[in-house]
Amino acid sequence: MQYPEPIAQLIDSYMKLPGIGQKSATRLAFFTIDMADDDVTAFSKALVSAKRDLHYCSICGNITESDPCAICADKTRDQSHVLVVEQAKDIMVMEKMKEYHGLYHVLHGVMSPIEGKGPEDLNITSLINRLQKNPDMKEVIIATNATPEGEATAMYLSRLIKPAGIKVTRLAHGLSVGSDIEYADEMTLFKAVEGRTEM
Amino acid sequence: MYLQELQLQHFRNYPSADLELGPGINVLLGENAQGKTNLLEAIYVLALTRSHRTANDHDLVNWEAKTAKVSGRVVKSVGSVPLELTFSRQGKRAKVNHLEQARLSQYIGQLNVILFAPEDLAIVKGAPTVRRRFMDMEFGQMNPRYLYNLSQYRTLLKQRNRYLKDLQHKQNRDLLFLSVLTDQLAAYGAEIIAQRLRMLHKLEHWAQAIHAEISQQKEELTFHYATQVPEDQLTDPDTICAALTQLYKEHQDKELYRGTTLVGPHRDDLHFRVNGKNVQTFGSQGQQRTTALSVKLAEIDLMKEETGEYPVLLLDDVLSELDDARQTHLLKAIQDKVQTFITTTSLSGITRQLIKDPTIFHVANGTVVADGSAPSGDPATKED
Ligand SMILES: Nc1ncnc2c1ncn2[C@@H]1O[C@H](COP(=O)(O)OP(=O)(O)O)[C@@H](O)[C@H]1O
Ligand SMILES: [Mg+2]
Ligand SMILES: [Zn+2]
Repeated sequence: MQYPEPIAQLIDSYMKLPGIGQKSATRLAFFTIDMADDDVTAFSKALVSAKRDLHYCSICGNITESDPCAICADKTRDQSHVLVVEQAKDIMVMEKMKEYHGLYHVLHGVMSPIEGKGPEDLNITSLINRLQKNPDMKEVIIATNATPEGEATAMYLSRLIKPAGIKVTRLAHGLSVGSDIEYADEMTLFKAVEGRTEM
Repeated sequence: MYLQELQLQHFRNYPSADLELGPGINVLLGENAQGKTNLLEAIYVLALTRSHRTANDHDLVNWEAKTAKVSGRVVKSVGSVPLELTFSRQGKRAKVNHLEQARLSQYIGQLNVILFAPEDLAIVKGAPTVRRRFMDMEFGQMNPRYLYNLSQYRTLLKQRNRYLKDLQHKQNRDLLFLSVLTDQLAAYGAEIIAQRLRMLHKLEHWAQAIHAEISQQKEELTFHYATQVPEDQLTDPDTICAALTQLYKEHQDKELYRGTTLVGPHRDDLHFRVNGKNVQTFGSQGQQRTTALSVKLAEIDLMKEETGEYPVLLLDDVLSELDDARQTHLLKAIQDKVQTFITTTSLSGITRQLIKDPTIFHVANGTVVADGSAPSGDPATKED
């Protein structure tokens, strides 16, 4: 027997999410059918609006509803520091720490030729433009992950930026080797910011 | 250290097995194609998470099953630790003391093994890749730092080779990124070379003594690490790194043209010399055998020196290949201190008087039973 088409389509949609196979997708689909109508409507609206109303900030690459994003728009933030991360979600982790008050820049990945990602595929040009336009800029803090690719990207950025006379530092201590910054707890990250090293 | 217990599930031709092992010499006795090598392979895999005879983990899973499991308990001077490995379509999972390990460098080294097999002669006679693999496998299990450097190096090498190929097709060449990859590769490469030199120096020391004894002091065995790095700069990692960087500079055009990395530890080799002559090209069959045996035996002492524990020895059909003098040497080296597993089709080929109280297992068609006891019985030689 085949599933009714609406369910089959829902299962198929859930399977597009990372880490969800057919079994979990089927479970989620049947769960959805039993959910309250209001919840389902809110859920579907949230899905659509997340895609339609969110953009990348034209300055830093963060995910945002308004452009520029709340962080770039906030003039009380320290304009002399920019912290460079791989993903927009890394900003949330950093912000939870409440110890860093400077600006951010999202690369949207790291350089990895095997995955077809070279320097030109990352959000680097806009970083350089930003640095050139901002005479108050004192320090670029690179917080890419401690993987070989994260390290290579960090070194690349430092060689690109340093000739402009801006200090470049790298989060070193606390970020465990080969780990994802996502999983680092906030205390470790705090220590990582404290113990950053100049490149 | 020694392996106290071994359990298999759907591993090769074993539906299941649960063994208590002797701390001394264990003999796996059985006809051909019954599962003797498979059992040794299971122990090897439990130590190194990969097989010595297949690069494809799925070959280890029984043809009728989806998941294979190998587990065991290792006894060391500081206590005992359970290890567990599972192989499935999803990949492999490794547990130490019931806790899953995220990185292989945290797992490998818990159980150290040295395998002697007829193919060992390839360490002397084979291609350079065989010797690089030999260094990487053996030094890797003694030293997690080596394993870490090696895995970083391999990742960077892949990235750099791909980038060199990319650059062949691109209009504007971003050589800055190439220089970053080069510098990182040089840094890890230098660590690897320095560690290899340090370990080889120690291994040479042990191998020399053994080789001299087997050859009745007539021959001297020496090692030579063959690399493009100039001999006088083979010192500390910083010096080696500077030398590698210089070599990459000299080879840049050629590397861009060829689209591959031409310098580094992945191109180096190890030469064995007997009385100053490369034994691979100039040695007799006997000299080559003696060299291979000395190098392998020296590993026992090196592992003891590096880790504080003797490794577990796996001898796959080697005793019958050795003449009496070499056999006596081998058995003398392991007697009373090293847990050893020996496969053989018959006990008559083995110098019985040298093996005191072996624990004997009968292997037949994917089952293994301790000698003179019911399948679940106690081996006669358990002593602690
Ligand atoms: N994945 C597997 N599943 C089932 N049987 C296997 C598997 N791999 C190998 N075998 C069988 O194991 C046997 C070889 O065992 P092996 O340990 O090499 O023999 P020996 O006792 O001669 O050392 C062969 O009969 C082979 O068919
Ligand atoms: Mg065999
Ligand atoms: Zn922004």
